[in-house]
Amino acid sequence: MEVGGRESPVEGSKKRGRSKKDGPEKSKDGSVLKQKSPAEFFAENKNIAGFDNPGKSLYTTVRELVENALDSAESISELPVVEITIEEIGKTKFNSMIGLVDRERVDEELYDDYESAKAREKRLAKEARTQEIQAKNAALGKKIKEPTSAKGIKGRGEASFYRVACKDNGRGMPHDDIPNMFGRVLSGTKYGLKQTRGKFGLGAKMALIWSKMSTGLPIEISSSTRGQNYTSFCRLDIDIHRNIPHVHLHEKRANLEKWHGAEIQVVIEGNWTTYRSKIFHYMRQMAVITPYAQFIFKFISDAPEKNMTIKFARRTDVMPPVPLETKHHPSSVDLLLIKRLISETSKQSLLQFIQHEFVNIGKGYAERLIGEMGDDFIPKMSVKSLTDQQIVRIHQLFRQAKFDDPSGDCLSPAGEYNLRLGIIKELHPDLVATYSGSAQVFEGHPFIVEAGVSLGGRDVKQGLNVFRFANRIPLLFEQGADVVTRTALKRINWNSYKINQMQDKIGVFVSIVSTKIPFKGTGKEYIGDDITEIASAVKSAIQQCCVQLKTKIVKKMQAREQQERKRNLAKYIPSATAAVYDVLKVMAESHEAKKKRYEEEDVELLTKISEHVITKDTLAEKLAQHVEQVDYEMALEYATQSGASEEPRENIYIQSLDAKKEYLDFTSQIFTFRLFL
Amino acid sequence: MADPSPRKRRRPSSASDDSSAPFRNRLKPDSVILQTLRSLAAASATSSSANKTLTLADLDLSTSCREVTDQSLPAVQSSIESLILKIARSILAGEGFSFDVPSRSSGNQLYVPELDRIVLRDKNTLRPFAHMSSVRKSTITARILHLIHQLCLRDIHVTKRDLFYTDVKLFQDQSQSDAVLDDVSCMLSCTRSSLNVIASEKGVVVGRLIFSDNGDLIDCTKMGMGGKAIPPNIDRVGDMQSDALFILLVEKDAAYIRLAEDRFYNRFPCIIVTAKGQPDVATRLFLRKMKMELKLPVLALVDSDPYGLKILSVYGCGSKNMSYDSANLTTPDIKWLGIRPSDLDKYGIPEQCRLPMTEQDIKTGKDLLEEDFVKKNPGWVEELTLMVKTKQKAEIQALSSFGFQYLSEVYLPLKLQQQDWL
Repeated sequence: MEVGGRESPVEGSKKRGRSKKDGPEKSKDGSVLKQKSPAEFFAENKNIAGFDNPGKSLYTTVRELVENALDSAESISELPVVEITIEEIGKTKFNSMIGLVDRERVDEELYDDYESAKAREKRLAKEARTQEIQAKNAALGKKIKEPTSAKGIKGRGEASFYRVACKDNGRGMPHDDIPNMFGRVLSGTKYGLKQTRGKFGLGAKMALIWSKMSTGLPIEISSSTRGQNYTSFCRLDIDIHRNIPHVHLHEKRANLEKWHGAEIQVVIEGNWTTYRSKIFHYMRQMAVITPYAQFIFKFISDAPEKNMTIKFARRTDVMPPVPLETKHHPSSVDLLLIKRLISETSKQSLLQFIQHEFVNIGKGYAERLIGEMGDDFIPKMSVKSLTDQQIVRIHQLFRQAKFDDPSGDCLSPAGEYNLRLGIIKELHPDLVATYSGSAQVFEGHPFIVEAGVSLGGRDVKQGLNVFRFANRIPLLFEQGADVVTRTALKRINWNSYKINQMQDKIGVFVSIVSTKIPFKGTGKEYIGDDITEIASAVKSAIQQCCVQLKTKIVKKMQAREQQERKRNLAKYIPSATAAVYDVLKVMAESHEAKKKRYEEEDVELLTKISEHVITKDTLAEKLAQHVEQVDYEMALEYATQSGASEEPRENIYIQSLDAKKEYLDFTSQIFTFRLFL
Repeated sequence: MADPSPRKRRRPSSASDDSSAPFRNRLKPDSVILQTLRSLAAASATSSSANKTLTLADLDLSTSCREVTDQSLPAVQSSIESLILKIARSILAGEGFSFDVPSRSSGNQLYVPELDRIVLRDKNTLRPFAHMSSVRKSTITARILHLIHQLCLRDIHVTKRDLFYTDVKLFQDQSQSDAVLDDVSCMLSCTRSSLNVIASEKGVVVGRLIFSDNGDLIDCTKMGMGGKAIPPNIDRVGDMQSDALFILLVEKDAAYIRLAEDRFYNRFPCIIVTAKGQPDVATRLFLRKMKMELKLPVLALVDSDPYGLKILSVYGCGSKNMSYDSANLTTPDIKWLGIRPSDLDKYGIPEQCRLPMTEQDIKTGKDLLEEDFVKKNPGWVEELTLMVKTKQKAEIQALSSFGFQYLSEVYLPLKLQQQDWL
């Protein structure tokens, strides 16, 4: 498992730079210049990794573990099976786990949640009032609302603890590497550019830091690689100040089931009540975007009624290809990156460096570029001997020169098929349309936008439901400012696709994959709306889906109109005939009373009215007949237009060629009917 | 009627006011202004008596147009009856039924420059019962015909609201029954008043006018501050007398109240009318009747925005919705007195009282520039172009920034003195 693998060194060096800056501030009181370890930095700024509060920490821990598990299984082309268990740990149990004796409160007034006499009076009065109101409502026959569960005043000390375990069938980790993979932050050495799932590349390490901060309990890892006859078991925590692992136990155990993969257990403080729905949403959306994986989600607690197990079944065994590592595009590099590439390259000459360390630069183009750089550049010069000024010149030229756009080959989109399947599997919509755009480019990074629009379905709210995915992980927070939400809300004219934005249950799914997702905000939870390339790609992808839906919707509406035409027309017959008949009746009366003279032909009709030969019912009947006839004609016309496809078909069985040649021929003058026996 | 006593109410004018009420010192004595007004009234009287108003029949238009006339109740009743008989026969023959309704869509409207009003062309649309898109409308049409027939028999008037409430379930909302009502009057070629259906009172009139309403004599100088509500039924109105020199048409209720309270009509003898926004049929009929009988010039005071001009055009050329009856509803030769876009700078209306025009405003303004009734008046085109260019609008109330009575005491007198109308 590549826990630390995706940390790119550039990011790492930036963060290290920031942590160094903190140093001088600390040295005000003491003259010692303190170095801060990366682990310390993240422990202090845990919000940037998504560990803002206990609830969010629980959520982030789950997602980091799930995403690691998926990456690990996909890297060996194994269909992922991921099992997540969250176990609620009561205070007593937790105390016994850490070997602390439960102590009764002696001095009640010492505690924050102590209810003073005054407060109790107030509370009792309030309770009495609500009871009174309820009694009144009950007397009036109103629906009684469930009495809101009297919330116990929760003190600060009442933290809840959870054991989060995640088991996968992935690559597993080599026995000796396990301590370093978990116990050292920013230890990644991977170099290059790749579409990755994780947001920060901290993986389980941040969860470990959080567990150390909140519970002090170590993390437990068992792992086995393919074909390995033992499993490694490791219990460790992290020395935050020195950024090194602190191993409690590291041993090999028997691997009887020939299991490969990893199982990680960590005990952290969390908040299940407030983040339950977020975790569910995350699992559900994950199931949408990865229908080839199987997820089992379990929640265990002391209260059996709260326990649950949800299984998100696998629906396909088609997996998107593993994203390929690619080289940087010249227009996307910065000075620091060029320097790093130079220090790490195995190429000797400048020409080779430019030609091989970047995409979309051929030999001829590299020569032209070097020629353009100036007199002090020659193709054969050693790349390591470049001065800082020369590097700046290279950077400038990369910014200004024209390069072909990077191709999207290195990306691994979910795929239209998978997206559609995921939507159908999880939402069961009435209609669904999907679209996959071609690769486009933003600041030298290729990206692909895929979209799906669904109508109707299970557990879908009325109106727009936006589901966002970036590099195949769901984004749940900070939806408002996101490019997808904005586009769906403001830039799509749903009406023109015969979709009612307020009343229909619309699901909008947009998945964006890129070697670098331009996240906004500290939490990396949304993609900004200010990038026109992405905004227009999202818009056109959604529109493509809507166009597909429109034809289906129009067909449906026509069919419905067909069915309901007769009924709708017949509905108006009584009103129309009543109006006509009432006028006729008045006319007939005034004719009888000789008040008014009418033409000869009218007299005949009016007499029939006054003699009740023609009544209201006669008119209604005749009109109904006419409606019937028109309906029949129009149905016929509709059938001719929509073609014979509506007619029932019967299966035709064709005789196979190697059948026995036993048959009877019925011959007539025009044709022969051959019956095989 | 009271004698014309132009200076009944003292103007609180003094030198110190000049800073707060600019241009006051440019005002000449009222007697001079009255002189100009008298000559205007005289010119108007002679011009309207000289050339007889043209009718559609006088013109030899290439396209035939539809116009409606006032019809007597028995005539309306007979035409409804023959229509119903035709329908009944058609139903009995098993052919269903359909109405042949004149189209009132904007494609079927025509502006006739010679008449200076919009008329309706003679395109018809068929409204068959046995069709999904028209079944509702044809049923409503039959129902409205039935209701009007009842009105004819009993010879009573009802309001549009009454009509709607007779069958709320079918009509669903009043706009539907109102629209069909207009269709019916088109179909029967009679005015809406001939159908005995009226709209509720909206317009008000105050000033030097005496007329009889259903036999009662009304003196509009003695109607208090609010004035007299314009009767919805124009047939009841008659015997108009006036010593006014002009009619002042006001868009807004607020400006109307200001002028009425200041008894502006006593300083400069006039009749003040407002319909409080978009004019209703009754106010338009009333204005036309005054113009025709009293032969007075009509000056309009509207907001300096595209809607102000639009309201002006409805009085002058008619609305598209009622174009079939434009002959009876329009008042020719209305002058645009104010507030015009050029006044904003001319009277130094402060920046904070001007509003930026919205996208929609600018679009409406540009659309108006394309309209024929604007194009025929080069002065209006110039003003409207200025409005669209500066992208600023102002309401009549913007003048209140110089004091609440600036409108009645300085702005209007100065406008009249300079004969500053288009």
